[in-house]
Amino acid sequence: MKRARIVHQGRETWAKVVEEAGGEALLLTPDGARIGAGEARWLAPVTPGATIFALGLNYADHNKELGFAAKQTTPLIFLKGASTLTGHLGATPRAADANQMHPECELVAVIGRPARRVSAAQALDHVGGYTIANDYAVREYLENYYRPNARVKNRDACTPLGPWIVDAAEVGDPQALALSTHVDGKRVQQGSTADMVMSVADLIAYLSEFMTLLPGDMILTGTPHGLHFVAPGETVTCEIERVGRLVNPVVAAP
Amino acid sequence: MIAGTVYGVVLNDAVERERLGEALAAAPYGAPPVAPVVYIKPRNCVSVGGAAVPTPGDAPRLTLAATLGLLFERDLVGDDPASAAIGGACLALDVFEPHDSYYRPAIRQRCRDGFLPVGGLATRPADPALEIVTLFDGQEVHRWSLSRLVRPVDQLIADLSAFMTFRAGDLLLVGVAGDAPQAQVGTQVTVRAAGLPSLATRLVAEVSA
Repeated sequence: MKRARIVHQGRETWAKVVEEAGGEALLLTPDGARIGAGEARWLAPVTPGATIFALGLNYADHNKELGFAAKQTTPLIFLKGASTLTGHLGATPRAADANQMHPECELVAVIGRPARRVSAAQALDHVGGYTIANDYAVREYLENYYRPNARVKNRDACTPLGPWIVDAAEVGDPQALALSTHVDGKRVQQGSTADMVMSVADLIAYLSEFMTLLPGDMILTGTPHGLHFVAPGETVTCEIERVGRLVNPVVAAP
Repeated sequence: MIAGTVYGVVLNDAVERERLGEALAAAPYGAPPVAPVVYIKPRNCVSVGGAAVPTPGDAPRLTLAATLGLLFERDLVGDDPASAAIGGACLALDVFEPHDSYYRPAIRQRCRDGFLPVGGLATRPADPALEIVTLFDGQEVHRWSLSRLVRPVDQLIADLSAFMTFRAGDLLLVGVAGDAPQAQVGTQVTVRAAGLPSLATRLVAEVSA
């Protein structure tokens, strides 16, 4: 099943996503409404209060592109606050001086069952589903303190996430998914989750060794190579096989 | 009470900044920080009501950094003065494994279960030089004043709000004293400050079941 979080009749609600003949998604709300994908008011499908982990340098080819070793001795993990998220079709503001702002298409694992000290072999049993994030970075704002620092990675509405959560069983092997980013139809990123340095299972095992992962927590698993600096007016599409397509316009920040 | 994200900042203590001095201009930093240096304490860290702090077997000595937490009662909107959005304050004990480097986010060191005991909520104290006192087993071991903050609270909120919005239910930890004390299993910890409910906890061995 696919679940989306939307605004409907003045309330935030979860809706079941089904496909109509013709391929267009249709959202079924708990009160019986049927909403076409084009009319939906999408929110990031996040449980309030969830911990949002993100990975840096988790694809060997991207690390090379940035001048880092293929594998970090310790995984580079950082956290994000809720205000950084926006939903499918939500606009992402680009500050006037953010000339080096680039999209990062990432597979997101959503925790379904609490995880503490689980082995990599058992870890995927704790994943409830998957979604997509576009974890924008602004390279001008990088500082070498708790890098990537908040001004780079915790900006309002600079992490589009969605459009929905797909049940883990429907996705299957999370390390066999093609992912890509297109900007106004031009491909700027292309890769496979097979190239992650630490797999989804490895990450859950690593984190749960020292902390409890709770249902709804999200792990943004990093991005493959491909750097494209976006400009206001461009539309960015992140796509992951078996999960979906996340579309967001870039707008000039006020 | 904390419905949102818990944010904290390091390197906001003038005494620590003075001590680090030239080190912040050297590798791997290259230059002193420009923006506030932010970390997040995720929800598994937060405990209320005096629950004990589980001390991991692989991190027998923990730093216990007493600080002030400010709770946002509503989202900051437009050019709202920051103080208008703060609905309450509490003492908080930011627990972490000692670490020398601020280069990479210290997730393993700062984000373990129970690593953020928080005290009861009260009205925000008016004193910008609020003194926060830490006692181990009834003896004072640390005392610092918020007059040490490099960015006082309103400036800190303003500088962070330049790129992110504090929301209703978020908690901001205003700074960490660079000389915060360390303790091990068995220590009873009390944190006090004028006008705020005291916070009491103790360090116990983490159960590894």
